[in-house]
Amino acid sequence: MEKKLWFSLFIIIASCLACTHTAGLSKPASYEFMVDIPEGWRKIDNNRYLLVTRENPFQQYILVQNRPIGKSFRHTKKKMQKAMLPEEAAQVVIDELISDQNLLNLRVLKNTPEIIKGFDGFKILYTYQDAEGHTYQTLYYGFIKEDTFFNLRFTASDRFHFQRDIEAFRHMLNSFEIIKAEAT
Amino acid sequence: MNMRLSKLFLHLSGLLLLAVATACSTHSKPEISLVPDVLLATEDEQMLWQKSEQEQRAFESNGLIYTNTELEDYLNQVVANLKSEDAPADLIIRVKVIKNPYLNAFAYPNGMIYIHSGLLARMDNEAQLAAVLAHEMTHCIRRHALQAFRKYRNQPAFLIAIQQTLLKSKGLQALAHSMGVTGAMAAISGYARELEAEADLVGYEWAVQAGYNPKEVLSLFDQMLSDIAQVGHEEPFFFGSHPKIRQRAENLQKSPMPANIDIRATHKRSELFLAKLDTLLLDNARLDIRLGRFQIARGGVDKYLRIKPDDTRAYFLLGEIHRQRGHNNDAKKALSYYSRAITLDPSYAAPHKAIGLIHYKKGQRALAKKFFESCLQLSPDSSDQAYIRGYLKQCTLSEEG
Repeated sequence: MEKKLWFSLFIIIASCLACTHTAGLSKPASYEFMVDIPEGWRKIDNNRYLLVTRENPFQQYILVQNRPIGKSFRHTKKKMQKAMLPEEAAQVVIDELISDQNLLNLRVLKNTPEIIKGFDGFKILYTYQDAEGHTYQTLYYGFIKEDTFFNLRFTASDRFHFQRDIEAFRHMLNSFEIIKAEAT
Repeated sequence: MNMRLSKLFLHLSGLLLLAVATACSTHSKPEISLVPDVLLATEDEQMLWQKSEQEQRAFESNGLIYTNTELEDYLNQVVANLKSEDAPADLIIRVKVIKNPYLNAFAYPNGMIYIHSGLLARMDNEAQLAAVLAHEMTHCIRRHALQAFRKYRNQPAFLIAIQQTLLKSKGLQALAHSMGVTGAMAAISGYARELEAEADLVGYEWAVQAGYNPKEVLSLFDQMLSDIAQVGHEEPFFFGSHPKIRQRAENLQKSPMPANIDIRATHKRSELFLAKLDTLLLDNARLDIRLGRFQIARGGVDKYLRIKPDDTRAYFLLGEIHRQRGHNNDAKKALSYYSRAITLDPSYAAPHKAIGLIHYKKGQRALAKKFFESCLQLSPDSSDQAYIRGYLKQCTLSEEG
């Protein structure tokens, strides 16, 4: 729900200001990571996550986030823990998704282990519908490093946008680097 | 305010505008009586029903309905036994279950009652169920939605009241959008206090007149208060609101016992009720485990074990509750429950993997390997096989190292 709020704000801001394409490296001070935003994608960043979109967030978006492991989720009372296996971390994410009543007819199509930039993590592929009946597909990567849960996800509104923009997501995933965490 | 909520308020505003328009066109429409005569005789009631049907279609297509024909038949039978003489002949009351662990039940004006799996799982007997269903039936039979609609049609305060209720809970906003205006009013904000009080009182009378034990009817409120205290915060819905539940319990306790009731001849039907709930108790416990509400989940599993004391899935879930909660000594308890599940059904793969995980995290790789291998043997095509093969690989590397 808060995502939608940000999306709405994003659209308002985007329509008020001149369109700002922000391709290139992104490493605001509040993030513990650095990613390369593909050409033609625009970003909205804040203290909580980096969000980029090519057309608008209802068509597709990529979200990258570093999240303190002790931080509560919106629906499940479960929390990430430092000693969690990637499968256990994936389960917390899935439990949060299934408990979220915004995500209707949610189906987890795939949940597998994945090495993400050298870290043991997971990859989840799922689909869901919103209250208007639009179907979305999301590819979600996540891993825990020390006290932080890093996650990168790509959501597209339909197969066309998913297939077309998945390469941009892979580009961002490959460019992903942890910065602050390495210094600690 | 987010976009979905804005849309809901847009719907609400639309409904109010429609109400105002209807009022203007019909001048002074009389308030409906407590014992209404012809159903759907007025435009506004027809509109409410149409709106209800639309909302239900959308709502039910969202994968929220818990499908269990035997349970639905049972719930509808309880309703049939409660049916009051007040009920218009062409009002068909039906009951469906929603997959939702929170405490709630609500009715649409067209007679469709939805009850959450969480509320059913927290009940102990048919008398408590009858009380809730009779309460919801009263809303339908006394046409409370129509009364509310007419009363509030010229009062923007109604809109504000719903808005304030919705804004209290972020999780609720989505559900409100999903269930529509009529459902949101019934499920979330509840009707006006006097209509809810009437539903409590009339529902209580119907339940007692149908032969249910009045003490059990009242005990449901105590149980809900205890559950709310256990959760540590209020649930978002009408039945999960502490002050409302407290007030309602006090109102009912003050009300006189319906005449000609011999309390010794009343019943509560605990065993039949639990037998009919059957796997709903485990399915709902899984939802509570997902939410991290381990103590409530435990209550559901324990209740299930009262009817099926040797059920392997129940012991597996007890293991899951302890393994996932991860308090002191929980791993040991989880191992004990998983072992019991395997003893009851050695071919059940899930507890093999869970035991493997506990040993794996403790660094007991040889033991872990044994259980991961047995899990894969029992369920070679399981969806989590990539994880298990990864654990096995690490176990083998440890052995070699």
